[in-house]
Amino acid sequence: MIVHPTPSQTTLSDPPAMATPVPSRTYEDVASLQALRARRWYVVMGVMILLTCGAMVGCLQFGAHRLTMAETWSALTFSSAGTENVANVIIWDIRFPRILMGLFVGASLAITGAALQALVRNPLADPYVLGISSGAALGATIGLALGLGAIVGGFGLPLFAFIGGGLSIVLVYGIAASQGQLPMHQLLLAGVIVNAVCSALMMFVTSILNPASLYRVVLWLMGTLNAPSIPILIGIGVCLLIAIVLFLRESQALNLLAIGEDAARSLGVDSVRVQRTVFLVSAVLTGAVVSVSGMIGFVGMVIPHLVRILCGADHRLLLPVSALGGGILLMVADTVARTVVAPAEIPVGVITALIGGPFFIYLLMTRKYRFFA
Amino acid sequence: MSQQASASAVDSPLPAFEVRQLSFRYDSLRGRSSGDRSTWVIKGMEFTIRQGEIVGVIGPNGSGKSSLLKLLTKLVRPQEGSIQLFGNELGSLTRESISRQVAYMPQDLSFDFPFSVLDMVLMGRFPHRRGGLLNLVGWERQEDLAAIEKAMAQTDVRHLANRMIATLSAGERQRVLLARALAQAPRVLMLDEPTAHLDLNHQLDVCRILQQVHAQLQMTVLLVSHDINLASQYCDRIVVMKQGSLVCIGPPQDVIQPRVLSEVYGCHVLVDAHPDTGLPRVSLPSQSHHQAGAVSAMS
Repeated sequence: MIVHPTPSQTTLSDPPAMATPVPSRTYEDVASLQALRARRWYVVMGVMILLTCGAMVGCLQFGAHRLTMAETWSALTFSSAGTENVANVIIWDIRFPRILMGLFVGASLAITGAALQALVRNPLADPYVLGISSGAALGATIGLALGLGAIVGGFGLPLFAFIGGGLSIVLVYGIAASQGQLPMHQLLLAGVIVNAVCSALMMFVTSILNPASLYRVVLWLMGTLNAPSIPILIGIGVCLLIAIVLFLRESQALNLLAIGEDAARSLGVDSVRVQRTVFLVSAVLTGAVVSVSGMIGFVGMVIPHLVRILCGADHRLLLPVSALGGGILLMVADTVARTVVAPAEIPVGVITALIGGPFFIYLLMTRKYRFFA
Repeated sequence: MSQQASASAVDSPLPAFEVRQLSFRYDSLRGRSSGDRSTWVIKGMEFTIRQGEIVGVIGPNGSGKSSLLKLLTKLVRPQEGSIQLFGNELGSLTRESISRQVAYMPQDLSFDFPFSVLDMVLMGRFPHRRGGLLNLVGWERQEDLAAIEKAMAQTDVRHLANRMIATLSAGERQRVLLARALAQAPRVLMLDEPTAHLDLNHQLDVCRILQQVHAQLQMTVLLVSHDINLASQYCDRIVVMKQGSLVCIGPPQDVIQPRVLSEVYGCHVLVDAHPDTGLPRVSLPSQSHHQAGAVSAMS
């Protein structure tokens, strides 16, 4: 819960006379207000990191196999040594990688969604509007259709998906860019069109698939977090880290672009460079994430709105908080997905929508949040 | 040119803008081939804006007023001619160095995102930011905060600091945008229709603020307006444009004349003296008067 200073704390009792010199007392007011906000950044980030750690520990507790609190604790603190210990294996080899995967994927989707909503100035934007996800899905489907899903030591499916995603990045960029510019409306249209074409091709390929492969495709499309291999985990983690740094560097420019492109340029934003950077980082991150986890919906669109309701629209805070919020949502949703009907699993995309939707509606109705002015 | 300018810089300061043979047209999407057929938006304009004046740009819809402002901030680039900003060729200046000298307040901004007033004004410090590895997100320094404080005081928006921009009235919003432009600490302030859609007292507020910052900071102000009376009252000189060309430039007394206005706007107007200032004031002739005249002529 973020406490906003009430107007009475910051309002000056006497309206300042226009021509009089600024009294020093009021200078301290706005300065301290901004100092408060800078401090708030650290407080909010600290709280979010604690929440993330808490959620991770909480999620480690639950799963198909019921563990007691004591077992979890001893595994977490390495007090019951030995690789044969069931709790150790479950916690560290099975649940931990998957939870970490949830954190990375959720964070990637949410931070990308937040950045893209500002970039294209559209509240409905999410990582999938760029058309990269459909390209990845098409790649994965073709890989399955050719029976190559299991080649390269189990990396076949992500590899095909990533190639599909990469090709669609080139395609979307090629369609949208003109005369050294990257017009946003053209980028959106290019994304929509590539989405449509790839979906059509994918439907064609699925129509000639055998039932077993078809089932895998459908499952993949719904989005699942299978226990990932370590190289994939590291790969996604590195991608996410680089993306966070690049996004944060552009966070102020995104603030300005969200208000208007001409205004941003008149304030010194190199808009073409920022647009290109944010597009490419978003596209590569989305491609990578979709390749390993399929299309998990909802996180990328709703988390940024949710964070804006709670923390405001300043991207310096919005971007990192969205990342952690998306990570938490997906970790929790995935824990629910693999627990409630264990040993079966619900696709995690179903859960993200079912948890996030009502919560978002609640916030929307209780808070005065107006995306459209 | 630059030698000449630096030689005379001691007694008379460099002009804020020196515009020579400026021509501009929007390239169509496909560029070169159909480019020849697209019409010039600005054609052969020449004028000089001295440091510290308030200059108004007036003219009918589509006469190229907004395009002129965009040219002067290098948001678009001219096909022909040259623009000098304080003696430097505008085309050779970087976006950042222009934005430290010229603040531009556009007409069309989107307030969809829930930014607070303070967020908005802080954006004005973007051209002065110092990034770096240790300050990745770019927190403001003490001098940024001082500039913001001053700008917010000048425009009387301090008490709005925590309000959401979308919840403000049009007049308050305009003052916030003005605060953002002032926080930029520019030498030239450019405004596109700063008083459009504002009621009388807010128009007065905006004009008063402009006059004040002009008086206190010797800031050069360039504003586009449909409101000829406002331009007449507050501007030192007025640029009259028609179809992308300069019709005339000069003090309000010389420029706001029935002959000029009826030629530019294509309709008859009345000009008399403002009761306070004696500056020219424009009114539309009454319709009934016209008709009465027509009837009497017929009978």
